[in-house]
Amino acid sequence: MSFIHPLALLGLAAAAIPALLHLLQRRTPPQVDFPPVRYLSAAERESARRLKLRHLLLLILRTALIVTIVLAAARPLVPLRGGGAHQPTAAVIILDNSPSSGAIVDGGLVLDRLRVAARSSVGRTTSADRVWLMLCDGVLRGGSREALLATIDSTHTGWLRLDLVQAVERAARIVSAQPLVDREVHVLSDLQRTALASRRAAVPSDVRVLALAPGREAPNRGIASVTVSEGAAVIDLSGSMLDAGGAPQPVPVTIRVGGGRNRGEIAARGLATAGSDRAREATRAVVTVSLPAQSLAPGWWVGEAALEPDELRADDRRPFAWRVAPPAKVMATVGAGSFVAAALAVLQEGKHVVPGRDVVISGGEVPTSSRAIVQPPADPALVGQANRALASRGVPWRWGQLGTPGVLTSPALAIHNGVAVVRRYRLEGGGGRGERGADGVLATVNGEPWLVRSGNVVLLGSRLDTAWTALPAAPGFVPFVDALVNRIVMGEAEVLSAEGAPRVEFRTRGTDTIGATAFGPDPRESDLTPAPPAVVTAALGGKDRTAVLSADRFAAERFSGTRRADASGMLLILALLLAAVELGVATRTR
Amino acid sequence: MAQRLDLLDPAEVARLGGIEIVAEGVVEGFLAGLHRSPFRGFSVEFTEHRAYQAGDELKYLDWRILGRSDRLFVKQFEEETNLRSMILVDASRSMAWQGTPERLTKRAYADRLAAALALILLRQRDATGLVTFDDQVRQVIPARVKAGQWTRIVRGLLDTPDGQGTAAHTALQRLTALLARRGMVVLISDLLFDRELALAALRYLRHRGHQVVVFHLMDPAEVELSGPPEVRFKDPESAVSVVVRPRELARAYADTVRREIAAWRKSCRRHGIAYHHVQTDMPFGLALRLLT
Repeated sequence: MSFIHPLALLGLAAAAIPALLHLLQRRTPPQVDFPPVRYLSAAERESARRLKLRHLLLLILRTALIVTIVLAAARPLVPLRGGGAHQPTAAVIILDNSPSSGAIVDGGLVLDRLRVAARSSVGRTTSADRVWLMLCDGVLRGGSREALLATIDSTHTGWLRLDLVQAVERAARIVSAQPLVDREVHVLSDLQRTALASRRAAVPSDVRVLALAPGREAPNRGIASVTVSEGAAVIDLSGSMLDAGGAPQPVPVTIRVGGGRNRGEIAARGLATAGSDRAREATRAVVTVSLPAQSLAPGWWVGEAALEPDELRADDRRPFAWRVAPPAKVMATVGAGSFVAAALAVLQEGKHVVPGRDVVISGGEVPTSSRAIVQPPADPALVGQANRALASRGVPWRWGQLGTPGVLTSPALAIHNGVAVVRRYRLEGGGGRGERGADGVLATVNGEPWLVRSGNVVLLGSRLDTAWTALPAAPGFVPFVDALVNRIVMGEAEVLSAEGAPRVEFRTRGTDTIGATAFGPDPRESDLTPAPPAVVTAALGGKDRTAVLSADRFAAERFSGTRRADASGMLLILALLLAAVELGVATRTR
Repeated sequence: MAQRLDLLDPAEVARLGGIEIVAEGVVEGFLAGLHRSPFRGFSVEFTEHRAYQAGDELKYLDWRILGRSDRLFVKQFEEETNLRSMILVDASRSMAWQGTPERLTKRAYADRLAAALALILLRQRDATGLVTFDDQVRQVIPARVKAGQWTRIVRGLLDTPDGQGTAAHTALQRLTALLARRGMVVLISDLLFDRELALAALRYLRHRGHQVVVFHLMDPAEVELSGPPEVRFKDPESAVSVVVRPRELARAYADTVRREIAAWRKSCRRHGIAYHHVQTDMPFGLALRLLT
């Protein structure tokens, strides 16, 4: 039992008043002459037993009356089965309406289930509580109970991912700062394992975190990302790639390209197959779909990759954008090598480049043209001279010692990943000093820069020669050179990804379009696998503060005082009854 | 209009003067309110009518009734006797008690009642005497009918101080020796003594042929218990005390008093003793009327 006004219990000392009065009154009774004392003695002998009982009963009744009134003033909260009032509580109700809450499980929307629980939690609050509602945007919404209920009713599946650890930590800090008796955080989420970061939430010891246990896991696959490179769209899929029998299943992907500039929609299809890595094959797959030739014309292009509908529709389609630049005017110096010259010839024939001096590809010497692609000199003795020329042009990078052989790794040139590099110079000096610092590294070998960009100059760690790297002999060499001259050295228009409703927004400067942002759900939302209760408990404050509860237990446990009722009313009624009995005993037994 | 003292509040009447004045005033009012003398026996005196029967003497026929109702009734008379009366007044300490200062003490009431009674008896030419007693006999004035007897009785009352304990049976036993001839014995007391012993003495008097009358005096405060929430009541005669809460014991006490009065009344009736319960706020006239 607890009390709303525990200080009132000091009044229990008043319970001794009847006994004290009784003792004090008995101490010095006045003495009076009264001749018929013999009648009195006889009457008292006859009534002694009754009077003793009456005195005892009155003493008990009066003491109980005072105790009852004092207890009523202290407003005790007694445990009840369900319902009832609770102690003033500061609570944050986290309603996770992130994209994953739009999944259909057992014929119902996950968010609907969470919304019911949220409504119930808010419905239990009283005017003495302080309650906030947090949605996937992380904004804390206060207000009256009615306002919060209206907010919950109007909540729909959002497009932002909610980091539960961060959200719980923030909510716990808020409620912990409130001067109320109880502090709780209600986590109403599908508890995706991806939503629980590796770190643990710091939850103050006076805060209880109650998480509603997730429902059944739903199979889902979604498009994690789409990147356009070398005339192809690389589509990264996440989620389960297994069929009902547990066998990897090819996933059909459709690409629709619509320029938005009065060009008709173009469609292409491909099949994504799960990787061979048994650890990842169930959740990751990549498919490369060649873009239709019509979409290779210069300009900005917008497309959308789509999967067949499944339980979570939010991640079944993802827009993307890319820019096709006009053919660059390129020339190669003699030192650039024969492979470069051959590749440029092919590109010229395909009208990807035209002769000119906008971009110069050299073989060690540093050209003075505005844009240059520089290979290391074939003669090691000329490396120092070349480095000085780079420095004089303001390029922070320089060729250093020979590096160890390795394979090419490049996020920007994904199709060239794995190409062997047998001879290379270490590219040094650019980190932290270049115009973009380490961000200027476009490809690495053994983790060391191999292809870097600084301003209008692109440096290679190896010569584009089969004696240095297998790249000139690879099928992707021509597209590689194409990317170098048309995209990399020209300054590729940046296409960013962001969370939000699927769409593409262009950034403009004056009348020029300088970039685009493709919005879509966070790829981690596609993994609907719920975290085990132990993981949830550990991530959200530890087992001392956090509990993952079924719907019934959640309803019973939320608001630690919910199962208590204010017993002051009952006590006042009891006090009235005691007073009536006392009055009856005091008057009728006279 | 002149007020009759016998019907006024005893305390008010007592404020008019001494015992003699009060007694005379009470007796005057008392006798004025009666059509006839209340006590029979001092002459040939009419007592009642009865229907005429054959053989009755015609001189006793009531001609007035015959004239008015044409019915025959004869008058009956009692023979005159010389009554010897002895008034016993309890002068114990318990009699010197009053519930409130506005009321007479039981002793004061008893004195005035005794004086008035003696005056009535003496006026009827009955020999009247007085005995006062507490735990022993204090005053004895033999029954006489001569002039100045009432004055002696009054003086005897005045000369008897408030005593200690009460031993009525001792006084009553001594009285039997004083009352050689049959007569009337009037006991005025609060009867706060052993009932069986006192009754034994009264029974003996009755056995000797005396007419015995008992006035049981009580202050109204002795009938209904009241007082502060808690009080120690002390018996002025025996120093026995008891602590009680009057409000919670009042009902039981009243029941006890009622039972005690009923016991006295029942015992007296069984032995042919007249018993009268008198409270000290009862007008003297009403108390005297109890004897008629």
